[in-house]
Amino acid sequence: MIEGTISNRMRMLRFHKGEMSQAELGELIGVTRQTIAAIESGKYSPSLEAAFRIAHVFGVDLDEVFQWGVKGAS
Amino acid sequence: MAYREKAGWLSLFAMVVTFGPYFTITGLHSVPSEALPNLRQLGLFAVAAVVQAMILGAGHLYLRRGAVQEARMGLDERDGAIKRESISWAYYVPIAGTIVVGCVMPFNSSGWSIVNAALFMMIAAEMVHYGVVVFSYRGQA
Repeated sequence: MIEGTISNRMRMLRFHKGEMSQAELGELIGVTRQTIAAIESGKYSPSLEAAFRIAHVFGVDLDEVFQWGVKGAS
Repeated sequence: MAYREKAGWLSLFAMVVTFGPYFTITGLHSVPSEALPNLRQLGLFAVAAVVQAMILGAGHLYLRRGAVQEARMGLDERDGAIKRESISWAYYVPIAGTIVVGCVMPFNSSGWSIVNAALFMMIAAEMVHYGVVVFSYRGQA
């Protein structure tokens, strides 16, 4: 199995969205502020549906929010 | 700290301060097997159960006051994932308990020894369940 890591640009996208708070984003997505914090810090990977919702809130494509990189690849 | 993590800590605390003393007292003063019903033992269990219910009731009221919106909100997907993981870990405790209490103990024990062993396995399962809950929330905080 290919090992990979998921990273995201949610912090930056929130900043560009008028410094949207984690709680505000969580409310729009239907999750708690703590879940948004866990996603942002890479400690929790959201479901595909939640990921699409997040991208929709920011008005961008999914791959502009989340990136997947193969572990060990330069 | 997430509301549900606090609730997990509360449940762990309530079990430790009520059933900790219950099993300590029961272990120190072994109960005669033939004494069923044993009112002293029943009374001790009732005290532990009632105090646990009171701690949980008061604790949940207090926690809800501090996080009204979060408490009203149902489980989100991360909460659900943590709940499923904790239940899958805790599942093995009653399985082991059933083997010990239901299949082994009847051949060498009786009465309150079996009752208390069954209670212990139930509390142990709950401890594992809430232990995994708080551990998972801590790990993702």
